[in-house]
Amino acid sequence: MSNTGASQPDAGPAFFLPDFCGSRAVLAVVLIVELVALVFAIARQALHDNFWTDLATTSLFLLWVGLTCTAVLCRARTWLHSLSTSRAVTVMLVLLVTTIGLVSEVAYQIGQLWGIDAASGSQVSIFPRDHAGFLLRNIAVGFIVSALALRYFYVNAQRQRSIEMEALARIHALQARIRPHFLFNSMNTIASLTRSNPERAEQAVEDLADLFRASLNDATVRISLEDEIEIARTHQRIEQLRLGDRLQVQWDIADLPLNARVPSLIIQPLLENAVYHGIEMLPQGGCISIRGARHGDTLEIEVRNPVPAQTGYGEREGNRMALENIRQRLELAWPGRARVETEQKDGEFCARLIFPYADSPLLEGSSLDS
Amino acid sequence: MKVLIVDDEPPARERLRRLLDEIDGYEVVAEASNGEEALAACSELKPDVVLLDVRMPGLSGLQVARHIDCLEEPPAVIFTTAYDQYAVEAFETEAVGYLLKPVRKEKLTHALRHAARIPPTRLQKIAASARMENRREQICARVGDQLRLIPVSDIYYFAADQKYVTVKHKGGENLIDESLKALSEEFAPDFIRIHRNALVAEKYISAVERTDTGQYVVRMRECGSVLEVSRRHAPELLRRIRGG
Repeated sequence: MSNTGASQPDAGPAFFLPDFCGSRAVLAVVLIVELVALVFAIARQALHDNFWTDLATTSLFLLWVGLTCTAVLCRARTWLHSLSTSRAVTVMLVLLVTTIGLVSEVAYQIGQLWGIDAASGSQVSIFPRDHAGFLLRNIAVGFIVSALALRYFYVNAQRQRSIEMEALARIHALQARIRPHFLFNSMNTIASLTRSNPERAEQAVEDLADLFRASLNDATVRISLEDEIEIARTHQRIEQLRLGDRLQVQWDIADLPLNARVPSLIIQPLLENAVYHGIEMLPQGGCISIRGARHGDTLEIEVRNPVPAQTGYGEREGNRMALENIRQRLELAWPGRARVETEQKDGEFCARLIFPYADSPLLEGSSLDS
Repeated sequence: MKVLIVDDEPPARERLRRLLDEIDGYEVVAEASNGEEALAACSELKPDVVLLDVRMPGLSGLQVARHIDCLEEPPAVIFTTAYDQYAVEAFETEAVGYLLKPVRKEKLTHALRHAARIPPTRLQKIAASARMENRREQICARVGDQLRLIPVSDIYYFAADQKYVTVKHKGGENLIDESLKALSEEFAPDFIRIHRNALVAEKYISAVERTDTGQYVVRMRECGSVLEVSRRHAPELLRRIRGG
């Protein structure tokens, strides 16, 4: 629940009404009003000579009602937010019905003041004649339409929320985790270094802590590419202790804008895979090359590593899962604009991330407007 | 007791060595960083116990353990692993000694006391349930005191004698201590049974011929051997050869 709070900071936890001070909601109200006016005009067509005049007058009156109600809801917004959903609904219905009653009364009084036709002395037909009947009918219709509209907004908000929750749940489920294999091997390395090289052991513990902190980060927040690269380098330092000279990593990332924002842990898993399926499986080890490039508004990060001859590296379950995880997280971050490519040839495996250059820290998928 | 440590990661070996130094009655005779080194050390130094990492480049720990069994007096094997869910489950089921890294001294002491030789059949079961590559890429043969690893891709055929199986391969001929039945199960479909006593590599068959007496024979490429095909195995062989 608190997650939606983060993406819509001024809304109460369960509030479902759209912002009536905004143009979108006003447009929605105008549309609802016109539809209701049309319904009235069609229903009364048999009683009136002129359909269009009836539609126009009904529209005019209902627009007054609708826009006044919108203004009232806009002003009452902050107050309504502090109430529980059921109380807010009751208060809104009372407010709306009262507003409708008042607008109707004003319309009637205007009719009384200016509606007398000078020539005939009788009232112009567009103004209402029976005072109580006019008020009661409007209040009844207003109550029903308000209730329906509130219900519509409520259901719509619920649906919207469940979509968002689902997306968030997906992001959290996809949150990259540190693999147990890496964790226990690192622990073993640290256990060994504790006596032989306490300083290195200390550094390894600090690095491991940093990695864990990164993996526990809020999955919806993007981090700077600089931080992401630092995470990957931290990972590299730990693996280096374990594998020694067998692991070499060549960084060629001068072209990358370090302020670009990316979902966290997109490079580190590629490095982890390159070590796990590549370097670790080669008795002599090898060199992982990480290259970054920028083509206009598109960033490209490529991780290349040697693989043992026989294995179908790209098809290996663990590797595929990690790549699929990154692909899905990039997809959630930039729907339809990011992709992950892989290729294996000449004893080398290459994974390439291609995504737009963005410097906003929030995921687009988690902002409310959709 | 002589102990051999096999692990591809230097810190892991270093730690095991230090722990063993603190346990009385055990001496580290060598460290090996891969399977080939481990097998060489085994036949040379004849350790009593091998601490064997499961995940290594080249030969995996399970494969090394299988090859170790070719030795005249195979050492006891204790597997070590940092994290491998399936392998650990399999070790449990097959009641095979294993240690989780980082290894605790007490557990190491306990495992050393209970260390035992692991028969290949159990290793095969472990490989199957640990979802590891069961099929070997090399066959090991004992040559005097040494172990010789023969790449399966270099093997022309296996021929059974009364007691032993002869492997004919690019590097010559060797005797191995395995049954033709188990070999044919492991290396199907690349190897075809042509006779009760012969299993040949399909890729080295140059021709199947019929002699005057109506008997089929297989002519092998490179080594030039001609092997008899039994009446019972002929139809299957012909189907395979014709089928593609």
